[in-house]
Amino acid sequence: MRRSTTSGPVLGLLATALLASTGQLATSAQAAELVWARYGDLDSLDPHRATSTLSMQVWDQIYDTLLAFDADGQPQPHLAKSWEISEDGLTYTLALEDGVVCHDGSPFDANDVKFTIDRAFDEAQPSLTRTAWGPIESVEVVDTLTVKVSMSSKFGAFLPFLADSFSSIVCDTNTADTFGSSTAIGAGPFKLVEWVKGDAVTLEKNPDYRNFGKPVENMGPPHLDRLVIKTVPEPQTRLAALQTGEVHVAEPPFDDIAAIREAGELEIVVADNTGQNVFWEFAISRPPFDDIRARQAVAYGTDPEMAIDIIYGGLSQREWCPIARGVFGNDQEFCEQFGYEYDPEKAVELLAELGYGPDNPLETTMFVWTGGNRHKLAEIFQAQLAQVGINAAIEIMDIGTMNARVKEQNELVDDPSPGTFDMMTWSWYDPDILYALWHSPGAYSGFTTPELDAMLELTRTTIEPEARLAAVQDVIQYLMENAVHVGLYTPGWEWVFAVRPEVSGFKVGAFLHPMFNDVEVKE
Amino acid sequence: MLRYIAQRLAAAAVTIWVATVAVTLLIHAVPGDPVRIMYAKFQSTPEQLEAVRTSLGLDQPIHVQYAMYLGRLVEGDLGRTIVGDQPVLDVLLARFPATLTLAVASLAIAILVGMPLGFLAAYKRGTWVDIGAMLVAIVGVSMPHFWLGLLLLFFFALQLGWLPVAGSGIANLVLPALTLGLANAAVLARLTRSAMIDIFDQDFVRTAQAKGLPKTVVLYRHALRAGLVPIVSMLGLQFAYLMGGAIVVENVFAWNGVGRLAIEAVFARDYPLIQGFILFFASIVVIVSVIIDVLYAFLDPRIRYG
Repeated sequence: MRRSTTSGPVLGLLATALLASTGQLATSAQAAELVWARYGDLDSLDPHRATSTLSMQVWDQIYDTLLAFDADGQPQPHLAKSWEISEDGLTYTLALEDGVVCHDGSPFDANDVKFTIDRAFDEAQPSLTRTAWGPIESVEVVDTLTVKVSMSSKFGAFLPFLADSFSSIVCDTNTADTFGSSTAIGAGPFKLVEWVKGDAVTLEKNPDYRNFGKPVENMGPPHLDRLVIKTVPEPQTRLAALQTGEVHVAEPPFDDIAAIREAGELEIVVADNTGQNVFWEFAISRPPFDDIRARQAVAYGTDPEMAIDIIYGGLSQREWCPIARGVFGNDQEFCEQFGYEYDPEKAVELLAELGYGPDNPLETTMFVWTGGNRHKLAEIFQAQLAQVGINAAIEIMDIGTMNARVKEQNELVDDPSPGTFDMMTWSWYDPDILYALWHSPGAYSGFTTPELDAMLELTRTTIEPEARLAAVQDVIQYLMENAVHVGLYTPGWEWVFAVRPEVSGFKVGAFLHPMFNDVEVKE
Repeated sequence: MLRYIAQRLAAAAVTIWVATVAVTLLIHAVPGDPVRIMYAKFQSTPEQLEAVRTSLGLDQPIHVQYAMYLGRLVEGDLGRTIVGDQPVLDVLLARFPATLTLAVASLAIAILVGMPLGFLAAYKRGTWVDIGAMLVAIVGVSMPHFWLGLLLLFFFALQLGWLPVAGSGIANLVLPALTLGLANAAVLARLTRSAMIDIFDQDFVRTAQAKGLPKTVVLYRHALRAGLVPIVSMLGLQFAYLMGGAIVVENVFAWNGVGRLAIEAVFARDYPLIQGFILFFASIVVIVSVIIDVLYAFLDPRIRYG
């Protein structure tokens, strides 16, 4: 399936007209209010009931976390000022900051941490990301500012998880049935005023807010009085709203970023260290990709550097590792040793060994997910592969469907059709994503071996950083040498923000967390 | 008359019944495992997926699934959304007033612009007025809502700064209502023109003219009243068309109605919500059609006895 883009040139013309038409940008009506327009709405105000980035970005404003990622993506003390790990690595004792209050005025303490974790593990309705918390057995309130978390086995990804929005601390006063749909009490920089589903979330400043570890300059309450997070699905409408001043921050239309930059009136902020990684992944249950040489031929036969340069310009970078930049264990030099530099001749050789040649090309299908001009990227890869003797049809689908189809492909062992490969993507803050993807039975029922299982288990149960790094790198080497998970580029999809000139202090933290603590809007 | 209404209601019930069958089958038209696709973005264990499959009845034979669905429907239960875990009916009803407001405002614009334009074109048939009016109508009919919306946005919001770009306030209603209304005005203008041309050629109009009645009386009392009958019947279809157009226009202007909700549901693969939307939408269209049919029968007695 090829997606047509007949509206592209027309929209481009309109966008150019939009940009050219407004020499002077309108000014904001209310200095202390900022409107941020996004393409979609959050799914739930309850951090245990959703997994989308759009939801996480709102939770970031309402809730706080025990740890916080610094600009490089490393977890730092935040609401937990310090912690001790028992010698057996099974117990974490966290000391909390004093004087923090929840939005309803109740003190933030160890009971809120216990409430949050117990709720995530509630048998009747566990958190959708329960497994990411690790093998937690119990949570004990030692005193009001000390909490002890006990694990059944060691879990190396626990501390990074405590800096992620999925571990947002929900105050224990969130007992109303409306929690998640119309109420939410946290200790974050903004309080919930109202959520009109599909339309906007209105937040107001939390005057009692204290920042301990977030990578922003402001250690107190936000400068903004109100933050309105509005849903505007159509990119051209978002751009028009930015132009009129109705909106201050928004994702612009992808194809218009160059024109916006050239016009020079809106600032373009490109999210860095997003945790997103795009990679080749193969249905290994049947030919042709049950043979490592076919997988390697795809890797050698495609040139991601050239492809992303053409399609994304400076918005994406070549990624050698199976985990994204900013994630613990990502080391470009290390990964490059085991990577597949573009080598079409090598690809042809490998295909010849498998019996493929000019008269007998390898037939397969490439799955790609919609959006972000990836269909164009796929066409470049398709052309490159055709040159080495791989006929790859392209199928474009939404990411959810692709996830399900990839799993299904791996499970079609005896199917006579050739196995597929896909441009897959994941976003995560820790190399533990590799465990989720490749430990038996595997997120996609794909490549697994007992050897890899053991190596992945070691990445989980090793806590000491140097030893864990070695364990993670062993897994990276194994996955790359077996051409199972071949890194392509990062970030994986469009997280570019256009910001109006009267706005200052807007930052996007590691792993796609826009931060408004420093933001000011000039009159 | 009662028999006629009963016939229309029976036909409406059959149409809605077909819609219930269609929405039950819809979930099985998805390539692959629908539960896995629906829950693809969640870190769900096989046990959790199985529990979902059981709760949706997808582990049952299709006729049992349909019976379960009908049973729930009778109780007003359209299921719960995958995203946010809310009752589907509540979610639809919360967003419906916005779409209804938009549809009514658009219909008003369509009537106020389209009918006079069509009437004028018919009255001035063959002149430049007629050609000009129909040219405008053809452009209006041909132009996609999406494109017209962006053009209106460009001129009225961006260039002139008269109206806001996106949102769900009163001022925000103007642009989406104009977009939908003008596109439908074009359709209505063409319909009105052809209906009025037919009427102008009728004997009773010629007779009225021959009797020496004033032109305004002939036009407004005799011709227009008679011409209204087919136009009113088309308004029902127009309303359904407006509801469909709302899906696109609501998205362009971030108008928070059920049309946008449908798009959100499709992107989120929220099947219970998609099913609910289709059934809800089909029911609205059917109900409006019945009302229009009945109204039509009142306007034209030949229909109820025909």
